[in-house]
Amino acid sequence: MKASRSILAVLLATSFSTVAMAADVVKIAITGPFSGGSAPMGVSMRDGAKLAISQINQNGGINVAGRKMKIELIERDDEGKNDRGALVAQEISSMGDISAVIGTVNTGVAVMGDKYYVEKGIVKIITPAAGSASMTQWSKAGVKDLPIFRFASHDGIQAQMVVEKALKLGFTNVAILHDATNYGVSGRDDLIEQISRQGGKLKVVSVEKFAIGDKDMTGQLIKAKSAGAQAILIWGIGPELAAVASGKEKLGFKVPMIGGWTLSMSNFIDTAGASGNGALMPQTFIEDESIARAKPFIQAYHKAYAVSRIPSPVSAAQGYDAALLLAEAIHEAGSTTPSKIKLSLENLKVTVKGAIADWKKPWSKWNPSNVETHEAFRRATTVMGKVQNGRVVLANPSEKFVLEGTAVK
Amino acid sequence: MFTGVDLGLKENTAERIVRIVLFIGLGALPAFWQGQYALGLLTLMAVYGVLLIGLDATVGYLGQVNLAQAALFGLGAYGTALAVQAGASFPLALIAGVIAALLPGAALALPALRLEGPQFALSTLSFATLSVIVLNESESITHGALGLSIVRPSLFTVALDARGFYWLCLVVLFMSWWVSQLLLKSRFGLSIEALRDSPTATDALGIGTLRHKVLAFAWGSALAGLAGALHALNFGYLQPAAFGYDLMVMLLLGVVFGGRRSQWGAFAGAAVVAMLPNLLSNRTLFSTLVSFGCILTLFPIFRSLISRKVPAFKEAAPAVAMAAALILSLFANNVEEWRKGIFALFLFAAVVGLPDGLAGAVVSALHKLIRFTPDPLPPVSGGFRPAGISVSEPLHVLKLSKSFGGVRAVDNVTLDIGQDEILGLIGPNGSGKTTFINLVSGLYAPDSGTIEIAGTRPLPGSLMSASSAGAARTFQNLQPFSGLTALESILVCQHDGGKSEAMGWLRVVALEEKARQRCSEMSYGDLRFLEIARALATRPRLLMLDEPAAGMSKPDIARLVDLVVSIKRAGVPILLIEHHQDVVAELCDRVAVMDGGRLIALGTSDQVRHNPKVIEAYLGADDDHTSVQSKSEPQLC
Amino acid sequence: MDAKYIALAQMAVGGGLMGMAYALVAYGFQLTYAAGKAVNFGQGELVMLGAFTGISLAGSGLPYGVSVLGAMVAGAALGWFVERVAVRLALKQHNEGWILLTIIVGLFALSFVENIWGRDDRPFPVPWPAAPLDFYGISVTWPELAIAMGALGIMIFVELAKRYTMAGIAVQAVSADPEAAELCGVRSSSAISLSWAVSGAAAAFAGTVIGPVTTVGPTMAAALTLKAFSVAVVAGLDSGFGLVIAGIALGAAENLSGYVLGSGWREAPGLLLLILALALRPQGIFGKKIIRKV
Repeated sequence: MKASRSILAVLLATSFSTVAMAADVVKIAITGPFSGGSAPMGVSMRDGAKLAISQINQNGGINVAGRKMKIELIERDDEGKNDRGALVAQEISSMGDISAVIGTVNTGVAVMGDKYYVEKGIVKIITPAAGSASMTQWSKAGVKDLPIFRFASHDGIQAQMVVEKALKLGFTNVAILHDATNYGVSGRDDLIEQISRQGGKLKVVSVEKFAIGDKDMTGQLIKAKSAGAQAILIWGIGPELAAVASGKEKLGFKVPMIGGWTLSMSNFIDTAGASGNGALMPQTFIEDESIARAKPFIQAYHKAYAVSRIPSPVSAAQGYDAALLLAEAIHEAGSTTPSKIKLSLENLKVTVKGAIADWKKPWSKWNPSNVETHEAFRRATTVMGKVQNGRVVLANPSEKFVLEGTAVK
Repeated sequence: MFTGVDLGLKENTAERIVRIVLFIGLGALPAFWQGQYALGLLTLMAVYGVLLIGLDATVGYLGQVNLAQAALFGLGAYGTALAVQAGASFPLALIAGVIAALLPGAALALPALRLEGPQFALSTLSFATLSVIVLNESESITHGALGLSIVRPSLFTVALDARGFYWLCLVVLFMSWWVSQLLLKSRFGLSIEALRDSPTATDALGIGTLRHKVLAFAWGSALAGLAGALHALNFGYLQPAAFGYDLMVMLLLGVVFGGRRSQWGAFAGAAVVAMLPNLLSNRTLFSTLVSFGCILTLFPIFRSLISRKVPAFKEAAPAVAMAAALILSLFANNVEEWRKGIFALFLFAAVVGLPDGLAGAVVSALHKLIRFTPDPLPPVSGGFRPAGISVSEPLHVLKLSKSFGGVRAVDNVTLDIGQDEILGLIGPNGSGKTTFINLVSGLYAPDSGTIEIAGTRPLPGSLMSASSAGAARTFQNLQPFSGLTALESILVCQHDGGKSEAMGWLRVVALEEKARQRCSEMSYGDLRFLEIARALATRPRLLMLDEPAAGMSKPDIARLVDLVVSIKRAGVPILLIEHHQDVVAELCDRVAVMDGGRLIALGTSDQVRHNPKVIEAYLGADDDHTSVQSKSEPQLC
Repeated sequence: MDAKYIALAQMAVGGGLMGMAYALVAYGFQLTYAAGKAVNFGQGELVMLGAFTGISLAGSGLPYGVSVLGAMVAGAALGWFVERVAVRLALKQHNEGWILLTIIVGLFALSFVENIWGRDDRPFPVPWPAAPLDFYGISVTWPELAIAMGALGIMIFVELAKRYTMAGIAVQAVSADPEAAELCGVRSSSAISLSWAVSGAAAAFAGTVIGPVTTVGPTMAAALTLKAFSVAVVAGLDSGFGLVIAGIALGAAENLSGYVLGSGWREAPGLLLLILALALRPQGIFGKKIIRKV
């Protein structure tokens, strides 16, 4: 009886909360997995975005049509689960006063939940989810007017770079390993597509998958080894990537791993230890204080959260820059109305100096036949990183200029 | 003492009124609590309601931990999604969902339901894991981990919006609730409750354990499929991983938290499962809730402190858990990150503090506040009736043997019971009497030898088959249907006939005054008589009574003797195991004596009493036969 | 030897060694089931807590052996705690609440570890050599061998203690018939507590030997619990060393079917066999047949 009474109380309270509208704040929601297996990415993204927002608020807030408005944050944990994600999206889109949303790590969550934002026209910047489906679902459906933007180097770009790298290193036979989630399976499809698009010069000698939580990858690796793979192209997340690295060590199978940006996650690098050295992955950001552009952000993050390393630097930096871009768009829109923010995101006038790059008009008007219109990252803004002694460094130090870069596009 | 308000209502009527009010309220709720989120939550609650009512059929009514429900839910969802992709209409898609869960559910039920406890849990868990693997790996059909997207078809010509779909889900929930209630309150439901308490007795009385288990499981699976179908149409996107162990644990917690064996409990559980994760994301709301809960858990502690007792674990533990949750929700750096822990503390307090769940707690509170008018007892009719055609040889046993390990419990026994005969079976403890009855009634399969009951040979080792041949029995260690009332215990055993006839059987054993009493509240002696009435209600051609007088008081024994005489007079032959020598002497036409598994004597009571082998069996070489009774009696327990 | 057979042998050996880990965790189930007919569905969380305790002790500079012992002491205390708060009352009331309560306590442990030790997996440092051993082309790592030796060692130790110490005999008595044991002056509640403490210690020990192979993280044992439960039930909850055979068989079957059928189908044949085995022998392959008494 007690619980039913309290539930009633909560129901009533929730219903009234939609009525109360605060006038001098901009409400922004951050969603992502803050618990569970993809939490390092979700938490880093959230903390990166919060860092940007607290800096903005310390300077008085966003100037919206001549009035300084502070940003108020709403955080929701989607646990990396699709139906939780859908409910979170329903909740946020029903609040009525949310201007924009930043977040999502798991592609499945975006596929299941984003339609509620689209129905209500609420702006969302997807970061760091990289799976192709979160944007292609809208081009397939032929949606004319899309408030969803992505701020992550999507898998199409990443797969392209991975295949390029494998070719450049002179490999002819490769194995594809991927996890059994949406992310891994669509990564596999992107890789196979890129291989044929780049002339089919790579022969895929074995395709194997592994489940989240698998620790023993010997079977998959023996197959790759006996098929004569010269490199492993891999799509998965930290813990399983580490298991693959140590499995290679055990079997004495010394070929490089080339894969998605998740190879830069701390839970891969730390767990794999020496066996992770040499892994190659596309990066939009590297936690390296010698890069002048990145230094202030890295130091601020370390200080704010009392850490010496960011769990997922890419997620954190992308969260940070996404929040800066959003704030600029709200300022330029001169309004907290989502439809106006969407328009100004598509036509950003000012170049935003972020931790990753100087962002000059990263998005343009949505064209259902070209998802790139709502994608911020290009091949040219992404570099190859390499794991070296517990850190990610540039695979090719001469590419440092990309990360220092003064203007993008 | 405060005895409660008498509303002049029957409990069933009151429940029906409240239920209808609930559904009207739920239907009207979107008008007050607006927005997509509200509708999303309410829809989810309705879908989980259907799912948990289904789960309760196995977890609650069957009393088995079923870990396959989440997977069946997923199979139903995929069935519907694939049907929609193939162009099926709305109703057809729903049916596809039900079938997609029902067929594999039934296939699982057949092997799994022979198992109990951990073995049952494991086989359902294996099935669930297997289902998710198949959904994940059949990429050409289900798109595997990439997920399956569908667009909800219109219902006939109406394209349902979110509100319309919510109402549809409510209708489905109402129907599932209503049908489940009808089903589980019927004789079918009573049988299921009976077999939970004693599967041996339900089989021995011909109620049929496996059949009822399979049907209950199938009903639960069908509801899982229906809920899955709604889920697919609700979200329009499916991934296999969503239907794994995590969801299953949430569902189980929901059923237990809400209260088992009750549709209200399943509904309350569904509301909690649907709402709680969302409540936890609002910090102030949540800590208010926890403080409120914390205060409530303090009451039982104060109550025992006032009566100067140390609070028992059951009272103290919930309060400690809630206090810990309160401290965490107020002082943790990041409540969001402690969410699972707080959730666990919350559930711990609820499971320990409310063992019967939310619904159980509310019902018992209401029973204290309100007095309901009981259902009128049906008029008494029936009683003894000739047991069909009378059989010349009710029991014919030839060279029956059974060993356990190296012990020959029954060794080459040949025995007949004649028409209208009471045969007494006596012997020292461990002589094989009960094993003999267990063989005849089909609990054990004999190693060799044949059994013929009323002219037919039942399948060896099948209680059901022996029962349908006409055998009925009572048990030395009582096997009551603890959850049922006396009247209901008789009802489930009757092959035909209604309540008034059941009252007739109760009158035969002089228990008609206690018709409404639960077996768990009845006295030992009453239960012994009720077991006999249960056996009689199957209209047996052979009645086996295993120590009916054990533990009975003197007046009860006198009643028993009268009862057995009248049963005999009605034409039912009886095999009687009894230690009370005077009862045996008074009742039995012939007495068979067993020792060490062998039949050592057969004859009238007097003949047997003076048989030197019998005297030796009871007393060793001593010939003082008068102490036969006194030696065996202290061992009755 | 043909490379293909070497590969198969490698898979079988690797799987079998992992199967010893299943058997070791399953042994914890067996210990508590024997004494009180209940198992801890949060056993995996005890394994995980044991591993984290071991890491922290080793991190504070203690030698590996001492850290393992420390983890076992902590594990025993936790096992005792779980029995006291989650199992005792529910068993007394004869309801299935203990299943949920053990899951709930496990859930709390998970949250606790996430917040105290963090969500990331971390390696468990061990004094064994890093290079794998090579037997005719089959490579085996030292930590894998340590699981096998450890599992056998602890099982032999506990089984001997059960037979030759007073406390062990008392536990066996309670397991056979709690009421008769009470009449003989054995306090069944103490015997049950003792079994849970031993089970907790075994779980923590499992954490310290499995951790070096799988890495240590809050979710390290989620899959392990279910596998171990399968092994315990299929072997028979009273089967003693039958566990080892069932564990090795399941581990090897999984690895081989993953290799032959494709890694997505890794678990499928094992699960089918499991349902089949239960349908044919409900008491478990090595379990004693239950005679129904009425």
